[in-house]
Amino acid sequence: MQRHLTRSLVTMLGPAVLLIGVFIFVPMLLTIWLSLQDWSTQTGFETARFVGLQNFFDIFGSTSVGRDFKAALINTAIYTTLSVAILLPLSVALGLLVHQRRVPGGVALRTVLFSTYMVPMIAVALVFSKLYSPTEGPINQILGWVGIGPQPWLSSPQTALYSIVILNIWQQVGYFTVLAVAGLTQIPQALYEAAEIDGATVLQRFWTITLPLLAGTLLFSAVIAIINAVQVFEPVALITQGGPVNSTNVLTYHIRRVGIERGQGGLGSAMAVTMMLALVVAITALFAAFRSRERAA
Amino acid sequence: MSKSNRSMGGVFGAAALLLCSTAWVQAADISFLTHWSPETVAQLEAAAATYTESNSDTTITVRAVPFGDLLTTLRSSGGGAGGATIAGIYDAWLPDLAKDGLVAPVPDAIAEDVEANWPDGVVNAASIDGTLYGIPNEIDVYALNYNKALFEEAGITEAPKTWDEFLAAAEKLTDPAKGQQGFGLINSWAAGVLHPFASLLVSNGGDLVVDGRPTLDTPEATETFELYETLVREGYADPAMATADANTTGPFLDNFVSGRTGMIIMANWWESALKAGMGEDFENVATAPIPVGPSGDVARSISYSWMTVVNAQAPAEEQEAAWDFLAWLNGPESGEEGASAMAGILMSMGILPSRTSDVAAYEEELGSPFLAGYVDVLENAKPFPVVLGGQEFSEALQQQLEALQFGQVTAAEAQANAQADAEEILARAAQ
Repeated sequence: MQRHLTRSLVTMLGPAVLLIGVFIFVPMLLTIWLSLQDWSTQTGFETARFVGLQNFFDIFGSTSVGRDFKAALINTAIYTTLSVAILLPLSVALGLLVHQRRVPGGVALRTVLFSTYMVPMIAVALVFSKLYSPTEGPINQILGWVGIGPQPWLSSPQTALYSIVILNIWQQVGYFTVLAVAGLTQIPQALYEAAEIDGATVLQRFWTITLPLLAGTLLFSAVIAIINAVQVFEPVALITQGGPVNSTNVLTYHIRRVGIERGQGGLGSAMAVTMMLALVVAITALFAAFRSRERAA
Repeated sequence: MSKSNRSMGGVFGAAALLLCSTAWVQAADISFLTHWSPETVAQLEAAAATYTESNSDTTITVRAVPFGDLLTTLRSSGGGAGGATIAGIYDAWLPDLAKDGLVAPVPDAIAEDVEANWPDGVVNAASIDGTLYGIPNEIDVYALNYNKALFEEAGITEAPKTWDEFLAAAEKLTDPAKGQQGFGLINSWAAGVLHPFASLLVSNGGDLVVDGRPTLDTPEATETFELYETLVREGYADPAMATADANTTGPFLDNFVSGRTGMIIMANWWESALKAGMGEDFENVATAPIPVGPSGDVARSISYSWMTVVNAQAPAEEQEAAWDFLAWLNGPESGEEGASAMAGILMSMGILPSRTSDVAAYEEELGSPFLAGYVDVLENAKPFPVVLGGQEFSEALQQQLEALQFGQVTAAEAQANAQADAEEILARAAQ
């Protein structure tokens, strides 16, 4: 009986475990192994030379390799923090607006919001690169009508990264609004009715019912938003090429530059491993914070 | 046997070998990776169609990617067995690509033909340790472009010849009220940042690299970094108007095209972009040598070349067919009136061909007011250094120059950082 059960388990789980192993764990382990090697991406694995942790020392060192990587790490952290900090409250606010059944045109508004998520990034990047044009861009022209002087947007290291954040928020907010709406519809209407009878104000209902019961959805949204933000690549590759002065050089773009353009596979892998570890730490911290809050509640 | 007879013998020998190699070419599907625009790709496809009419066993497909993605595409897929058979590459990339075994040496017969028909400097730029790796096609050189209408408005009668005259002209051309800058810098594009700086440096008697060692710590380099600092500090150049995108277009081009930039240092290849953007106003664009710095003796600039290489990982029959096609494409039989088909494609973009017979065939076109200025400066141009780690070196220097443009570092800091970065990068790459 026990043997039959084991055989059934192996038969049922085997294919999935095999696929996960081949397509997820093997590449991950390979990347970790390569991060400890001096290796050109254009040569076979047999040419890799073990260098221990040297690649990690280099990417956190004081030479141009380390300086550029640390700058890319900070840029990615700023981009991710801003994206998540703006996207989540905005998606909840928009979700509260569009999930109201009594509001006319709610479904149409939801569709419009979600449509930005379906537009291919190449099109978004092309349009935004023109919208942001300092001299001929419509955004600066509109700002000029209300007396605000032209902004440099993508043309200044002080504003370029924030301009990419705005682009990201514009494209992603519809998706996160849909998630928020899905979470809002799960909250029993009876709770609001009871609170209303008890004399709770709209704001009190939001803080004591909506937000706590939306916590699970927000956690999921935060995880997805963090992963999406850390993996930002297209707008940088298509519009700014990491500039000016590397101000938009984010990790994925920098890893591509080092690992593929320059062929420095060992260094690129060390950067990828560091990025993966940073992502794991951030997500774990988020879950830990959520659980401790749940326990406290 | 006289020298001329020996040369003739060599040419006939090479021709015979080429003919033989043509006869032995096997059926193959070859692909050509380039960064050219759709219009230029159409011309290349037309040339390929002409070639396949008499080589029906060979099929040729052309794949184009933006310039910013060309090296990445070449390294990520173009160099593998399933990648592009032929690729157009920038000479600075050659040492690293050859070191990694991505590009095949040119077959002896074709190499002899190239050595006989291209200038030595161009052949050297396509060679590593005496081995030729590609057939050179275009040669690009930097010069000062200026807007004659803006010059006239500002009361400037002729192009600046020295840095003092250059700064004086930049001051007169700058008008913040009109959003007009005297000189256009470029940023967010490594070559766009580096080549104008390097042109000013060599015109001041300096160099980027000498004998594999960076020379950004020289007094000539100090003066060049300080020139950039002055241009920005005085407001003669606005870095916010200097951005480039992945297609090497963007605000820096828009601002020159729309008459908001008085002068800029650019290469001949942007003629087609200027014509497209300016229409009839293209007549206002003039070309002049790079102004000579206080430590320089003669107007110099930077030149670089492009070449077509063949994927060393491609199957032997594909490589053979690729070389045969390239020999034809760059040979005097494929184009009009003794020019190669490649020269015709290049000239349509305003790019100077490098084959001696192509230069002769297009003598009249190369004498146009815009291109003549570039042809004139070619004689004193210095080739951009081709060294291992060249791409990383370029990007590191780009970063320092951009930081200087935006006032994040002083000229002295940018120079010290650039030299330290370059020493570390070139030493590491040479290991």
